[in-house]
Amino acid sequence: MEPVHHDLAGGPAFEPMIQIDMEIKAFVSVWRHCDYVSTYMARMISQNRSDSVRHSNLFSSAFNELLEVAFRTRHADGELACRVSRHGATDRIELILPCVPEERRFYEEAVSQVAGIEARERYLNSVSGDLAPSREVVLLELAVDYNATLRLEEADGDAIKLVVDLPLEGLRH
Amino acid sequence: MSPYDLLPRFKAQYDANNQEFSISGVVRPQAIDELGPSIALLRDAIGRVRGVLYVNVRRLTQMNNAAFHAFSRIIIDACRARPDLKFVVITSSVVGWTSRKFGRLSGIEPNITVEEYDSEFYPGQGFLEGGGFVPILRTQTKMTWRHERAILPRHGMRPGIVMADICCGIGDFAVLVQKEFQPSRIVALDHSRSSLAYARKVAAEFDIKGIEYTYGDASEMLLEENQFDLVTCRHSLQVFNRPELILRELFRICKPGGRVYITNEKNSHCLGEPRADSIQWTYNEVAKLWAHFQMDIELGPKSRRYLTEAGLEDIRVESFMVSNHDGDPQDFADVIAAWENVYAGEMATKRGDTPAFIRRFRQGFQDHIFAALHSKGYAGWPIWVASGRKPL
Ligand SMILES: C[S@@+](CC[C@H](N)C(=O)[O-])C[C@H]1O[C@@H](n2cnc3c(N)ncnc32)[C@H](O)[C@@H]1O
Repeated sequence: MEPVHHDLAGGPAFEPMIQIDMEIKAFVSVWRHCDYVSTYMARMISQNRSDSVRHSNLFSSAFNELLEVAFRTRHADGELACRVSRHGATDRIELILPCVPEERRFYEEAVSQVAGIEARERYLNSVSGDLAPSREVVLLELAVDYNATLRLEEADGDAIKLVVDLPLEGLRH
Repeated sequence: MSPYDLLPRFKAQYDANNQEFSISGVVRPQAIDELGPSIALLRDAIGRVRGVLYVNVRRLTQMNNAAFHAFSRIIIDACRARPDLKFVVITSSVVGWTSRKFGRLSGIEPNITVEEYDSEFYPGQGFLEGGGFVPILRTQTKMTWRHERAILPRHGMRPGIVMADICCGIGDFAVLVQKEFQPSRIVALDHSRSSLAYARKVAAEFDIKGIEYTYGDASEMLLEENQFDLVTCRHSLQVFNRPELILRELFRICKPGGRVYITNEKNSHCLGEPRADSIQWTYNEVAKLWAHFQMDIELGPKSRRYLTEAGLEDIRVESFMVSNHDGDPQDFADVIAAWENVYAGEMATKRGDTPAFIRRFRQGFQDHIFAALHSKGYAGWPIWVASGRKPL
């Protein structure tokens, strides 16, 4: 059994695994950054999972979507930080990104919808709908297909912190 | 932009004979126009087919939501415009997200079904994958290891390397390698969940770290190219009807300058004294029996050709004879008894062999066991080892 640590808030403590920081400007200059970063980090953190290759593929798939959402965000200047930590079967991705106020409202709304009970239905409607998937739908899909839970936390300055828990080890084969 | 960005990372194809559209690789476009030709190909395919269009995504490793939506929409629209048309999406059990994500489509349109491709990988799979064979695989590996541990360093094995054991079975070989040679990383892949579960259990019980067991299909692996210093594949090419497909993958994941290492048998050369004739007759029949099920238990000496044709160089081939004098003769006898059980049992019955044939067939195995346990007897099982280097 792994020892369980608790942080001050009383939740289980996640062990930090890896962190990448990038200038937002640099990040959004090349689309392929999403793919590079998600693939690289997935590979790094999956080696001690029960099936490293499968875990890495799933993690990269989910993480890439998050990065693509961050890519499409209207940003204030500053740094993008991606952090991955782990508690048991759950991997936690924290994205800290500077953004303008209306973007903050977008994230607040999107996160509350993901938690809503009709998340699945909304997602299915969007698949058969005309529009290319919005950023909100992309976040919904993480909940529907990867059993992710999402929430927002306070961050300093103009930044928001999006916290996504991915229980990939438990996802059925 | 690096030149790498310009390489296409996915491929779409339409096979008119099979009415099959397939898309493979990593599909993560920024804008949908990047998919233009593939989308056009899918539309065109839909326009041509009658009845069923198969959409093969078995080799699709990544696809972002933007691309997924673009392809899904075309399929959903086609269902609505042409109720006569059915779509069958074929996913792979190996790529974790595809069945879930594509599976949603069948909830949207009843004419879309999603099938996970997971069975019948090679013709004789059922015979060899049954749980009963596990103890025998262990004994076999124990017997071959006595020889291979001395042979491996001549084929690129050394401490600190990154290696993969493809078709690892229950993982014993990986564990032995780990202990003896301490590679820095071992990825061990198989397509049998029960074997992998067994391997993981053993690793946990004996607190063995550093072996990554992974579920996969050797003919289309999720592993990236040019990763491993040594890629091993033992006793397995001989069970596939098209070993060159597996070799192509072994080659792909091997680093330039690294080596691909294979072991195989030539069962008709199993031998024993006394009762040599009966033994020889039976093993000749084993070879024919395997051939009947499209497997080549005679592959060993063909290794040089296979490796050369796969594009490897500096090919090294050697052979060794496992005998009743390696360790306990009873181990040898147990292995033969297990062979008899499967070959003269399930396999011969499935082929429709007569009772008279089966009686004689069994006798040769019994005589081999007799030779193995005889105080003055000799019983042998030859193995061919071969490796080649991937050009720099
Ligand atoms: C004869 S056993 C050899 C196992 C092991 N290398 C050994 O020497 O004991 C063949 C192995 O190939 C595996 N196998 C069969 N088809 C496969 C596929 N498509 N991909 C990966 N492994 C496969 C089987 O599950 C089985 O473990």
